[in-house]
Amino acid sequence: MSMAGALAIWRRDMLVLRRSIMSEMIAVIAYPLTIYLAFGIGMQGYIGLVEGIPYSMFIAPGLITMTAVNAAYSESVWSLWFHRRVQFTIESYRVTPVTVSGIVCAKLFSGFTHGLVKGIAVGLVISLITPFRFPPAHLAVYLLFLIPGSVLFSCAGVISGTLMDKPETIGRVEAVFIMPLIFMSGLFFPLSSYPQVIIPIVRSLPTTALFEGARQALVSGNVSFGFLILLYTTALSAFIAAVWIFRRKMAE
Amino acid sequence: MTAAITTRSLAKRYGNLTALDEFDLEVTRGGIFGLLGPNGAGKTTLIRILTTLMRPTSGTACIEGFDTASHSREIRRLIGVVPQENSLDRYLTARENLELHARLHEMPVTSYRKRIDELLELFGLAGRQNDFPDSYSGGMQRRLVVARALVHHPRILFLDEPTTGLDPQSRHAVWDYVKSIAGSMTIFLTTHYLEEADQLCERIAIMDHGKLITQGSATELKERLTGGALYEIEFGGNADAFAATLGNLSCIRKLTLEGNRATIELEHWECLSALVAALAGNEIRRISLKERTLEEVFISLTGKGVRE
Repeated sequence: MSMAGALAIWRRDMLVLRRSIMSEMIAVIAYPLTIYLAFGIGMQGYIGLVEGIPYSMFIAPGLITMTAVNAAYSESVWSLWFHRRVQFTIESYRVTPVTVSGIVCAKLFSGFTHGLVKGIAVGLVISLITPFRFPPAHLAVYLLFLIPGSVLFSCAGVISGTLMDKPETIGRVEAVFIMPLIFMSGLFFPLSSYPQVIIPIVRSLPTTALFEGARQALVSGNVSFGFLILLYTTALSAFIAAVWIFRRKMAE
Repeated sequence: MTAAITTRSLAKRYGNLTALDEFDLEVTRGGIFGLLGPNGAGKTTLIRILTTLMRPTSGTACIEGFDTASHSREIRRLIGVVPQENSLDRYLTARENLELHARLHEMPVTSYRKRIDELLELFGLAGRQNDFPDSYSGGMQRRLVVARALVHHPRILFLDEPTTGLDPQSRHAVWDYVKSIAGSMTIFLTTHYLEEADQLCERIAIMDHGKLITQGSATELKERLTGGALYEIEFGGNADAFAATLGNLSCIRKLTLEGNRATIELEHWECLSALVAALAGNEIRRISLKERTLEEVFISLTGKGVRE
């Protein structure tokens, strides 16, 4: 695999991100911040403590994580679709020495970087408007979850952007799979709210491993190794699947 | 001498559809080679295989001696490709588009900066190098795509319908640029414009239904079609009056009379003196040699039917 080629594509994506960062940030921050203000602050008085912590603190890690993984997914899916179907730049990359795996890796890493930058931005805004401060050690443990989570969603984006030829289909996948998976994973409520029989199924979802594991890491500094293994295994499988699917599609 | 491009029994099938059928071609190094064919003839499939974007179903294709199936990366270092679509990155400036291409070819910064300066100058884009391609005219965008394909000094340049959609001025400008770089590399061009092939290409191949029909220089192809010389004679009066006189000449292969004009296909040009002698004393306003066009060759070989 050509690292120089992959790096060139990633640098291109970062140049474009740098140019549009201010306008993008407003949109990226507005959505989670609205949810945070409405649920975390508006509903706080009605909900009280959840799992021993204020509701606004309970949902904060999930909102940061959601922003990061959503950004990773959106960047990968739309970038790949746009470059493949509209701008035909993927084809112009493919007649250079960069390999197909190099293109996928570049797009994955771009999605991951978008996620990281936007997640950090939302985290900073939330920390500005709330009194909560997470210790640096917790933040480091949190990254153990956020990194494979962003990679996983970036891979999902690459797969969708490779397989979907119509933009409306991409929107449907987001509405039917991505958002329900995020919301079902205990972003706004504890997993104990589910009926007992459903809890093992929900806990086996990689999104639960991400959101629940990330919350535990950020709030209490705990590392759930079960969640961590599930998350890393799924991210690795998704990466292999993304490269394989992209290769097959390009060979058509 | 190794050929620049060689294909042997190359075939590509999509289910029941055969896009390329036992296609054999050899393109020698240097010069401009033109590939003509109607829509659906298999030109794009062939160019996609040669540029390593697609694998053939069977047969082999070699670029500068490298097999496209097993040495695609080596081949991609040697080729420059101008696709049918502009495929420019609209979020990057013209210069940044070229820089990205240079980095994809792993060129060192010091060498690609100079090269990009040269190309922007050569293609008349230096003054607009920091503008985004969306603000360019169609002709300028096309020139930028050609410049991008040349950044890494390719040995073979593939031009897939490079002037489609351009106005005549822009088309001629692209031709001039292509001619100016022709000496330094092999250029493989596909086009719908027969005038383009006639103007640019030293050798031309015509394909249809996935098969190679014929190849040669434009002159050879025209001669092969006519087999003889074609003259047009304009008389002072109605040409029908000369039908009997002309009909008696054995070296006339084909005679068409229309108004005061006769179009005559001779077996060979030496017959012209016999023709002039036969018409001596009659009022002849003009005798002209009628050049066969490449379009006539093309239509005669591929038919007039519209392809989907």
